[in-house]
Amino acid sequence: MAAVTLTNVVKRFGGFGVVHGANIDIAEGEFVVFVGPSGCGKSTLLRMIAGLEDISAGEIAIGGKVVNDVEAAERGIAMVFQSYALYPHMTVEQNLSFGLRMNGNPKPDTERRVRRAAEILRIDELMHRRPKQLSGGQRQRVAIGRAIVREPQVFLFDEPLSNLDAELRVQMRVEISRLHKELGVTMIYVTHDQTEAMTLADRIVVLKAGNVEQIGAPLDLYDDPANRFVAGFIGSPKMNFMPARVVETGPGAATVELVNHAGARLSKPLQSTPPAVGAEVVLGVRPEHFFDAGKGDCDIAVKADVAEHLGSVSYVYAGAGDDELIIEREASRQRASGDHLTVAIKADKALLFDTKGARIR
Amino acid sequence: MRHQNATAYRFLTPYLLIFSIFWVWPIISSFLISFQATRTVPWRFAPTFNWGRLIGDPAFYNALKNTLLILVIQVPVMISLAIVMAVLLNSPLLKVRGLYRFAFFAPVVVGEVAYSAVFRLMFNLNFGIINKLLNSVGLPSVDWFSNVTPAMALIMIAVTWRWAGYNAIILLAGLQSIPDDVYEAATLDRVSKVKQFFYITLPLLKPIIVFCAVLSIIGTMQLFTEPFLITERGGPGGGTETLGLLLYRQGFRSLNFGYASAVAYTMAGLAIAITLVQLWLTRDPK
Repeated sequence: MAAVTLTNVVKRFGGFGVVHGANIDIAEGEFVVFVGPSGCGKSTLLRMIAGLEDISAGEIAIGGKVVNDVEAAERGIAMVFQSYALYPHMTVEQNLSFGLRMNGNPKPDTERRVRRAAEILRIDELMHRRPKQLSGGQRQRVAIGRAIVREPQVFLFDEPLSNLDAELRVQMRVEISRLHKELGVTMIYVTHDQTEAMTLADRIVVLKAGNVEQIGAPLDLYDDPANRFVAGFIGSPKMNFMPARVVETGPGAATVELVNHAGARLSKPLQSTPPAVGAEVVLGVRPEHFFDAGKGDCDIAVKADVAEHLGSVSYVYAGAGDDELIIEREASRQRASGDHLTVAIKADKALLFDTKGARIR
Repeated sequence: MRHQNATAYRFLTPYLLIFSIFWVWPIISSFLISFQATRTVPWRFAPTFNWGRLIGDPAFYNALKNTLLILVIQVPVMISLAIVMAVLLNSPLLKVRGLYRFAFFAPVVVGEVAYSAVFRLMFNLNFGIINKLLNSVGLPSVDWFSNVTPAMALIMIAVTWRWAGYNAIILLAGLQSIPDDVYEAATLDRVSKVKQFFYITLPLLKPIIVFCAVLSIIGTMQLFTEPFLITERGGPGGGTETLGLLLYRQGFRSLNFGYASAVAYTMAGLAIAITLVQLWLTRDPK
């Protein structure tokens, strides 16, 4: 078990910057998820921690020791790859024990570790099969098993569930969570799936275009996003963003009018200096934060385009283009396309952003 | 469906006709000829005439011995060399990779007569560059063409030069199909590069190595150009005569088609047998 610290870590491929000065502190035994859209640099960051990519600048420390010049093999980490990267010509047992055998680990200890990993992951029955004789989920277990037998200080997961079907993904997610509790080892997990991030992480690192946008506990990011990108990325379905204009300001508050809903005004309490009257802003409201008409601080009328009934929840898609809203409501279960409905917004559940995406608090 | 098949076969008829006349029939015909005495006209059916001679013919055993010797020494050396070349070509440290790839493959496209002539010059006793190089490091000149052992070595060197690069390119394709992350996983498993080569690269490359070995075995069983052109028709004194050369000598110089056919079938039979043994030895465990 070891802490991992990234200080001003930069990665450039040629002249092209991929990671621009990442600062991340990961505590011992913590489960941290790097999340972001494709190309945001999350896998590169993970590979730099693993030692599979050199870092262009900055410092990476594992267990308090700077490992910039330490070979990948000597960093005390184990990694689970997206493609599993199993040795195709070896049986499951050989896959698990390969690294230990090659390093002259005593045979009884190797057998003990392999047996333990097999028990933890419930793959005892598969030990004599080859990877091509396994299902995707079984391969993933073997890949995790190979990491477990190394008894590493840090586990790295590079989008390990992205090749699995939806049902198996949920199942493996629970297993990885269980594994973290059981082993208590530091785990760093990369995904582009915010649901995985929310369900697995102790803390989430949100990345965008090589920059760390926000680091925090899942619900902190959900409730209190630092900017529009994080607000939109965390939460499913994503937050609704409505263009608005400041029409009135007072001490500790600003009143905004929704551009596409004439007359809909909302007074939003603010801790900072309010923007000037006339300034364009964006109002963010999560789908579950629309209330029945009259039960909020401002009502808006919309026309339902599509209603999705998922059983436990229903979503109404209203409006189109920039003005599309996703509304989650109990009553929406009875809604059908073409219906007109009026919903309410509460000021304390709405977030305000400037046009550049920064949060106005 | 039957109608569609008939149409397809009608379109295929010209090809099938030519294939049958120039491929299938000669194969059957030569098999039948091998059971005929063809030294006198008219040919007559004599089942043991050629096959009986083959069993007791010292020239056949000499050619067989030479062919197998080349097979046993040259093929493993060439395949090993090709693997090393492929690994070097695959190295991320290598610059101008395309140029090297072309250079390794180039011998295959060089005309056989031209390359043989150059080899004869290079290995010439008096002014060949090879002897000059040997002399420069204090070694005596070797008469590559008058002694059997150096002549056999010369054949093996020439065949290796010509085909190692070709096999290297095939092996390179195999190497490139091994995913990088398997090596990355091994690196994180603290497996050294050398062990990665022996425990990951070679096993995963095995099907391609077997493929190259089978091609090389078939090629060596038919070896003709080098002993014909470089060591002048299997010289010295039949010391480098191969089965291919024996077949040529019997069939096209002595016009003894019956015996040449028997030699040809023996060559094909041996190539198939050796290949099957090799495939069996290198099969994947169930």
